[in-house]
Amino acid sequence: MTRLIDAGLEQVKNILLRMGNIAHEAISISLKGYIEGLSTYSEVQKISDILIITEEEANDKIFELIARFQPVASDLRLLKSCMKISYSLARYGRYALDISQIYEKIDGLALCEDWIRNHIIEMSEKVLKMIQISVELLNNRDINEARNLSEIEKQVDEMYFKYLDNLMDKPSTVNKCIISSVLVVRYLERIADHATYIGESIFYIVTGEKIILR
Amino acid sequence: MNRQKLEAELSYKFEIENLNAWFGSKQVLKNINMKIKEKAITAIIGPSGCGKTTLIRCLNRMHETVPDAKVTGRVLFNGVDVYGRDIDPVQIRRKIGMIFQKPNPFPMMSIYDNVAIGLKLNGVKDKRKVDSIVEKSLRMVGLWDEVKDELNKSGASLSGGQQQRLCIARALAVEPEVLLMDEPTSALDPISSAKIELLIRELAEDYTIIIVTHNMQQAARVSDYTAFLYLGELIEYGPTRQIFENPKNELTEKYLTGGFG
Repeated sequence: MTRLIDAGLEQVKNILLRMGNIAHEAISISLKGYIEGLSTYSEVQKISDILIITEEEANDKIFELIARFQPVASDLRLLKSCMKISYSLARYGRYALDISQIYEKIDGLALCEDWIRNHIIEMSEKVLKMIQISVELLNNRDINEARNLSEIEKQVDEMYFKYLDNLMDKPSTVNKCIISSVLVVRYLERIADHATYIGESIFYIVTGEKIILR
Repeated sequence: MNRQKLEAELSYKFEIENLNAWFGSKQVLKNINMKIKEKAITAIIGPSGCGKTTLIRCLNRMHETVPDAKVTGRVLFNGVDVYGRDIDPVQIRRKIGMIFQKPNPFPMMSIYDNVAIGLKLNGVKDKRKVDSIVEKSLRMVGLWDEVKDELNKSGASLSGGQQQRLCIARALAVEPEVLLMDEPTSALDPISSAKIELLIRELAEDYTIIIVTHNMQQAARVSDYTAFLYLGELIEYGPTRQIFENPKNELTEKYLTGGFG
């Protein structure tokens, strides 16, 4: 049976999907810029601003639905989770901006050794994959995929700590390279966390169970 | 039996076991089993005709006052079956008061007499004692300050919300242990309803309250536990937060979210 609230829930889902696609684009652009040595700050800033505005739009719609329909059960869980998801999607945009700012303020990978470049490329690919999965989860609500995020997140975490250890073992690395790359891997690690937060939210929407995938 | 287990059992005001109820040949309750916590608010929700009102009317033996009505099973009240051979239904109804959907003060009686009537019928003759209980009961429902100077006026002269609080005062005057409330605010405006809901929460400090309501948000606001009935069966029963946030049964989910087609 179609309910009055359904059209509103569909609107919220579409706003989040739009945010997810925009956020994926923002992070792809900023990482490409950082890896290939291109200035992307102003472009990413525009996208990040759109995400902040869209997060507000999502929250306004969610509050309207709560006020008008007093949702309960799966509707309530869905809206609670959508608020958390919209925050994570907005954070994607913020980290994309931070990465593009590192290139502007410090440097990219130009002076870095190959192992650093390769490590960051590999980590970036994993994180972009996680973002893609987290955005797809908004549509397919596949709890097995949500669980898979946990596995990739573990790999990203391991890469993050391994990277720090490797840097400590190689005192000859150029300072600029150390500073910029450490910040970037840190942001990648945080983005991966937010992807798993989305996975946790989807799990809660579908099952009502609160789990920690990190 | 260890002490912890004993205490846990004692905290239940009602233990309903295999309860079935009929109107003539029509079965309206089917094998209900549930335990109702003492000094808590339990809400009974479900679509029209699911047996909500019949369930609470079985708890104080009002169901049997309807011709052709029949009950089987046990309703343990403080551990004693209200349907036991030596049980006086009048005494049960004194201990388990009832508030109805439409405020029903006795229209020909004064405000004072509406509250005092139960005491007088129970043989309390001491005027000072009756005065004291009337005042205490009216204070408990927050009506004393509004009516103390016009206690001789007809109960019917009060507003709908005041009348309902008067009925609650009338029920409290005979010192019940349980209040059964059958849609107590459905005939009231939102402000009067809010006052009754607040009163219900306050009363739960001292009384066990069971409320039947069609208003799911009211159940969510006031109750500690919620039971969902459907076609005479108890589908789901648990803490209100769990029922409203994460119901386990698909029927409950559908009813709460308006998904019944």
